[in-house]
Amino acid sequence: MLTLEKVDSFYGRSHILHGLDLAVPGGEITAIVGRNGTGKTTLLKTIMGLTDRIGGRIVLDGRELSAEPTHKRARAGIAYVPQGRQIIPDFTIRENIVMGGFATTGRGRPRSGGIPPLVPKLFPYLMQNLDRPGGVLSGGQQQQLAIARALAAEPSVLLLDEPTEGIQPNIVEEIQNIVVRLNAEEGLTIVLVEQNVAFARSAGHHFAMLEKGRAVASGPIATLTDELIHRHIAV
Amino acid sequence: MIDTIFIGLSLGSVLLLVALGLAITYGAMGVINMAHGEMVMIGAYTAVLTSLYLGFGLIAAMPVAFLVTALLGLAIEKLVVRRLYGRLLDTLLATWGVAILIQQAVRLSFGLAFFGITVAGLGPGLQNVSLPEWLGGTFSLAGSQISVYRSFIILVSVALAALTWGLMYRTSFGMQLRAIMRNPQMAAACGIDTARINALAFAYGSGLAGVAGVLMAGFKTVFPDMGTPMVVDGFLVVVMGGVGSLIGSILSSAILGQINGLTAAVSNDIIARAIVFAVVIAVIIWRPKGLFSYKGR
Ligand SMILES: Nc1ncnc2c1ncn2[C@@H]1O[C@H](COP(=O)(O)OP(=O)(O)O)[C@@H](O)[C@H]1O
Ligand SMILES: [Mg+2]
Repeated sequence: MLTLEKVDSFYGRSHILHGLDLAVPGGEITAIVGRNGTGKTTLLKTIMGLTDRIGGRIVLDGRELSAEPTHKRARAGIAYVPQGRQIIPDFTIRENIVMGGFATTGRGRPRSGGIPPLVPKLFPYLMQNLDRPGGVLSGGQQQQLAIARALAAEPSVLLLDEPTEGIQPNIVEEIQNIVVRLNAEEGLTIVLVEQNVAFARSAGHHFAMLEKGRAVASGPIATLTDELIHRHIAV
Repeated sequence: MIDTIFIGLSLGSVLLLVALGLAITYGAMGVINMAHGEMVMIGAYTAVLTSLYLGFGLIAAMPVAFLVTALLGLAIEKLVVRRLYGRLLDTLLATWGVAILIQQAVRLSFGLAFFGITVAGLGPGLQNVSLPEWLGGTFSLAGSQISVYRSFIILVSVALAALTWGLMYRTSFGMQLRAIMRNPQMAAACGIDTARINALAFAYGSGLAGVAGVLMAGFKTVFPDMGTPMVVDGFLVVVMGGVGSLIGSILSSAILGQINGLTAAVSNDIIARAIVFAVVIAVIIWRPKGLFSYKGR
């Protein structure tokens, strides 16, 4: 269970999130929906400790993370797949994946130091090209790589920011299936920022609707009605 | 001719050791450390003092200088630089202040001068380190007389550059550092303790500059301001080579060292400096990101 209580978040002097409450139940998918520029990415960055300043509390399974630096949040089990993927173009695919594994330091078990076992299962293409630079991959393959990197952290919570944005249509479905499988088969708690309402509805168990940095609606996914969407997303 | 090339190579080698530290800290932290030249100076004084008081030769002085300057670098990172990440101008000013502080500490024998105490090996004057017999002479190569000490400098620098390469590309520390250079936020989100890695990198770079200082002490006089031009030269190397590129730093310090050595041989040091500046400016106009720039997206 990941909870945010009355969270404010800032970039410099810009106040982006306002008193946001969010409950992310363990082992389920929580979809975050809302218009462009409403603070969805900022919400994920706030959970990772990547904004300039926050107020309020962020608690993961009873552990308060609000004052922890980013790397400790990662080591506490939160992995981040950012919007735009942010893989490192001149690192090899292997290095990009291994990079995620630094989050397993200090968890009292040996660092896997390599490729997490799930990767060959989910992304055979990456396994066949481990020594090529990440920058040569297509958008969809980079998205897979960013997910593989997050899995190397052996996380309990996965933050996914618009995983199908800007991706070739033939790979969109593949990525969507992987998101669903990671939750259903591996039991990962997932926070899914998603513009595609149909996918948010089919994959999510819960949702939160953001508008101008505030949570304006939240609950079981069945309560994400057309009326809500019409009011807060459709123009 | 070969002897002139060796002089250029040895100048380039010392420059490389200085530039590596600057390249790492600028690449990872975006910090221009104006006190980096003072690490060279402290390294040179370590050679002077260990020889004077402990009878150490230049080779024994190198690890000592590495440790002293690495620890000093670590202290500067923890006390000053860490508080100013992302504020380029503030770090410039603050580290410049630290540079002056360190110079004055040496000039005033760490304050003992106020009590009328003079310490041999410190103070405002010039110091010298004598080379051991076996490093002093020359050997002949293809009809030219080559300085043994110049060759020794080149060997030490090549070894340390190789060590640095290994550290960057073959260790977990290096991978974390490279990740920070490319994308500090993502590195942290992957569980990398960026503050710790940055501090260690800062210390390592300072240590290399300290070793460069020991090498310089073998062929130049040692005095409190000797580090000042080194930061400038080191930065010329980093800018010309391309920020964050080890190969770029190696290549551009070799080029600048050669230009320096060759022009100094046919005219004088002042003209040599002018030409070095001209070349760097030309390169920057031709390739604003340096010879080997990292291709970001
Ligand atoms: N680094 C930043 N500095 C200042 N303002 C930012 C920064 N990133 C985003 N913002 C602002 O924060 C608001 C929310 O942005 P974002 O979280 O990216 O929205 P979303 O992901 O929902 O499209 C926007 O108004 C945006 O302009
Ligand atoms: Mg966004």
